[in-house]
Amino acid sequence: MSNETLWYLSRATGLASITLLTLVVILGLLTSGRRRPFGERATIVMGLHRWVSLGMVAFLTTHIVTAIVETYVSIDWISLVIPFTSAYSPLWVGLGTLAFDVLVAVMVTSYWRHRMTERAWTAVHWLGYLMWPMAIAHGVALGTADQPLLRGTTLLCGAAGALALAWRLTTSYADRDRRRDILAGGWS
Amino acid sequence: MTLIDDLRSAGLTGRGGAAFSTAVKVAAAYDNGAALIVNACDGELGAAKDAFVVAAHLGELVEGARLVTRGSGRIRYAAHRGSDTETRLIAAGLDVLDVPSRYVSSEETAVISLATKGLARPMTKRAPFVGGGRDSRGRRIPPTVVLNAETVWRIAQIAAYGPDWFRAQGTPAEPGPRLVTIGGAVPRPGVLETAAGMPLTTLLAAAGGMPSGAGYLWVGGLGGVLMPAADVPRLRWSSADLAAYGGSVGPGVIDVLDPRECPVEYVDRMLTYAAGESAGQCGPCMFGLPAIAADWHDLAAVRPGNRATVESRLTQRLALVPGRGACRFPDGVARFAASAHRQLSDHLAAHAEGHCPTSPTHAGPTHAGPTYPGPTYAGPTYSNSPVTPVAESTSRSSRVV
Amino acid sequence: MSSDQRRPSRRRAPVSAGAPRIGVDRVACSGHGICAQTLADVVGLDEWGYPIVADRPVEAKDADLAVKLCPARALYLRP
Repeated sequence: MSNETLWYLSRATGLASITLLTLVVILGLLTSGRRRPFGERATIVMGLHRWVSLGMVAFLTTHIVTAIVETYVSIDWISLVIPFTSAYSPLWVGLGTLAFDVLVAVMVTSYWRHRMTERAWTAVHWLGYLMWPMAIAHGVALGTADQPLLRGTTLLCGAAGALALAWRLTTSYADRDRRRDILAGGWS
Repeated sequence: MTLIDDLRSAGLTGRGGAAFSTAVKVAAAYDNGAALIVNACDGELGAAKDAFVVAAHLGELVEGARLVTRGSGRIRYAAHRGSDTETRLIAAGLDVLDVPSRYVSSEETAVISLATKGLARPMTKRAPFVGGGRDSRGRRIPPTVVLNAETVWRIAQIAAYGPDWFRAQGTPAEPGPRLVTIGGAVPRPGVLETAAGMPLTTLLAAAGGMPSGAGYLWVGGLGGVLMPAADVPRLRWSSADLAAYGGSVGPGVIDVLDPRECPVEYVDRMLTYAAGESAGQCGPCMFGLPAIAADWHDLAAVRPGNRATVESRLTQRLALVPGRGACRFPDGVARFAASAHRQLSDHLAAHAEGHCPTSPTHAGPTHAGPTYPGPTYAGPTYSNSPVTPVAESTSRSSRVV
Repeated sequence: MSSDQRRPSRRRAPVSAGAPRIGVDRVACSGHGICAQTLADVVGLDEWGYPIVADRPVEAKDADLAVKLCPARALYLRP
């Protein structure tokens, strides 16, 4: 494969990854922020959340491998896991590395969820809220500036995710409200 | 003979209400080296027997606890915050678990949760915590066994006097001496030492008898049942006799309803209280109990009208709640409400025609009742028990044997 | 009763010997209602959206999927 093909492939899969990751984040926010138990929507949202995240891994793997293998920019294999070690744009590549590390933790803990305490799983899963903005920043900073479509898509992802996050922070549903009200009654 | 053998042949069962075999529980506590919590909360509405055990038989109680832990292992005594029982236990230098005065906080798993630095709310019991376990969030719970104070006192008695002494009292199905708290509209409310099989009339006579015109007895508190006072002469104090009303001897509480008060309104107050005592952990409880209380509140209004819709909704909801909580609180409240619904059907029908059989001037419940827990429910919080504690000194009891 | 109430269907799919039953951790359950979709044969929902579980065995692979898809991790298998 020519170096040029690798470079294009890396950019394309990077874009696909950030889009799918954003979709996964939004589906997760929808699941945690609403309770409409009647109907199929919750099931579809939850199923997509799980399986789109698996699909994303294929694109992300390609994105990372091609970014390291191609030689336009210099990124070593060590930058796959250790952030801020890249010769090329250490900060922005490093954010991508960090996001990848967190993603691995989130996926591994979700795979083994039933082998750990709910508290531990939740703590790791919440790191997703840090991981996603890092991935967006990585994409915006490194996405080629002369291609409005590339950077524009990433920015659009950022906007969509931010909107979903704002909805999640302001939405309410009966189960959570009732639990919170009763908990405030004092139980210790 | 070991203690376990003695307990087994004595046939001692838990006196907190669940009536589970104490031999099985203590054997499991031995096997797991479980810590012991002696539950002296008198958690059921109207109960005062744990208070009596602590006030009058503390020495035997402590001995019973020592037997269960075989001299090693932590022993704690759970008592409601601010109660006389708590004061007595602290004064005796015992390790006291300070339990908030909420109905479900004295439930077995709630006490364990509190003792292991959690909140005093029930936990899902996938397996008995006597073998240790985890709560729903994954917090580790060390092996812990909870025994009712009267049960622990009986253990000491069985160890001292033997299973034959124990079996000589009560019935073959429910052997041994047991305490009953009688309250409500009786001249001498208090704790009685008695046994299963005792005629109810005899028990009530020991409390001074029922007032004339008494209509209903409330047996077993929030998890109990209503029964007509007219049936008392043909009944004995046994789960077999109470089964006809859906009840059991349970935690040993009898409350005689005041004939001057509308029983429908009384039940209304109790159900509204119950709705406010959900620990807010299990959906069917935190939404179901307020919904049931709201249905009853609708039925309790003294106003002509067709109540068929509410009637059938209540019936369906009562069938939906049992078995769907981490603890048995919703089961108990549904049992009580269903029993009241059966026993007071004529009275409810009169309310629906616009008059109250208790008093021609009674216009129905005056309190607001629970707010219907719709999808955006934010209900009222009730923190104080509507039942006045039994006034009698708890250090004395009448013996009815 | 409100029309949105769903009870487990009366259909009874034959299941393999030793198939598990479904348990619900009621404290963990926050009423997403997904189990009523993934295990429609044995799980219905009450009027508030919480599962009503029939005491019948279900195919192990259906049960596993339902357990995985429960966002609150409230489902578990019992023998």
